[in-house]
Amino acid sequence: MSFDEFRQRFGDFLHGAAYGGYELELRRQTGELNDLFLLLCFMEATALPNPATLYLLEVYPYLLEQFHSWHLRMGIEHSPIGTLPCC
Amino acid sequence: MLLTTLDDLLAQQVVFFGGKGGVGKTTCSAAFALAASRRGRRVLLVSTDPAHSTADIFEKPIGSSEREILPGLTAVEIDAEQEARRYIGDVKRDIERMFSPAVIKQAHRQIDMAAASPGLSEVALLDRMIDLIVGRSADYDLVVFDTAPTGHTLQLLRMPEAITSWIQALVRHRRAVVEIDHGSDQTAEAAAKADPVLAALQRRHERVSRLYSIMTDRRRTSFVLVMLPERLVIDETARAAELLNDAGIDLGGLVVNRVLPDDLTGDFFLSRKAQERTYLDEIERRFKRLPRVIVRQLPRDVYGTEPLTRVSEQLMAKASLEI
Repeated sequence: MSFDEFRQRFGDFLHGAAYGGYELELRRQTGELNDLFLLLCFMEATALPNPATLYLLEVYPYLLEQFHSWHLRMGIEHSPIGTLPCC
Repeated sequence: MLLTTLDDLLAQQVVFFGGKGGVGKTTCSAAFALAASRRGRRVLLVSTDPAHSTADIFEKPIGSSEREILPGLTAVEIDAEQEARRYIGDVKRDIERMFSPAVIKQAHRQIDMAAASPGLSEVALLDRMIDLIVGRSADYDLVVFDTAPTGHTLQLLRMPEAITSWIQALVRHRRAVVEIDHGSDQTAEAAAKADPVLAALQRRHERVSRLYSIMTDRRRTSFVLVMLPERLVIDETARAAELLNDAGIDLGGLVVNRVLPDDLTGDFFLSRKAQERTYLDEIERRFKRLPRVIVRQLPRDVYGTEPLTRVSEQLMAKASLEI
């Protein structure tokens, strides 16, 4: 094992030791933040007016995948929003 | 009443003309634009009123693309619905270049749904206004807007603030997600830079906030309210003045349009004139601190450059007169 390789592994070990305990919580919080972001983007689909709708049009394709993983994560097999059929 | 002039506004970058329906916004904005072009300013006159009549006044066809109708005076009539369709078409084309057919199909469906939402055409109109105000400063010294009736326009002018704070909130959330969720192969900052959603949102934010900063800069943008010496118009104008003040937009002056001539005879006209007098006094009392310009009613409707010049002269009158 070269020194560089050792350093890399040791670094990974320290990173894991420091973050491992919090990772689950961090992921959960990220998921929630992301859900909020999606809600803000797709407000129109829930009949809430959104002043930035026009400017969100160009980001929708990027968000479709996230929307899909969101409804799966929520335990919903198919898109719960009729106007937004994603699978 | 001390009469002032709209002369000072010639140096502005953007001047909006607004007011209740039918008070003569189109005539006054056209006369102002004409005066500015004759003083050597390169002027763009933009009509955003869905009932376009700029073309009728100049007796020349004007369309949705810029067209020079007189030396130094270019005009354009923009239509909110059409702008919305154009914007959506552009977005769809962009998407088609970047995504797989499956994603495109779903994205188009989502876009069509969003396109049907109320308020979208206003945002599209605002977007075209950004192009004309922010993007064309090399071609024009002054952009004059002939706006739709008051309520509509004030809502439009307050939109940049709402939109920017919205996009800001979105950017904040997206950034937080991207920064926490970045892979181990890049730093949080690099992940945020590489995120296309964040990039698109920030680009939009920058455009709208540039418009907002120009609109609320009283050295660059002014609003002129056109009114008639009539009961309902005075009330609506007072409300509009308040709203503009709240929105941080400079109210550059009032045009009191279609004031009757002094040398009228006959009971009917004398009674009309007496009533007008009380309204003019009320205008003077209620809008004390604003520059006011009187435009007298002409014997005929204003069509063509000749009558328009007579309105221009009244708007730009240097002398102080008593009425």
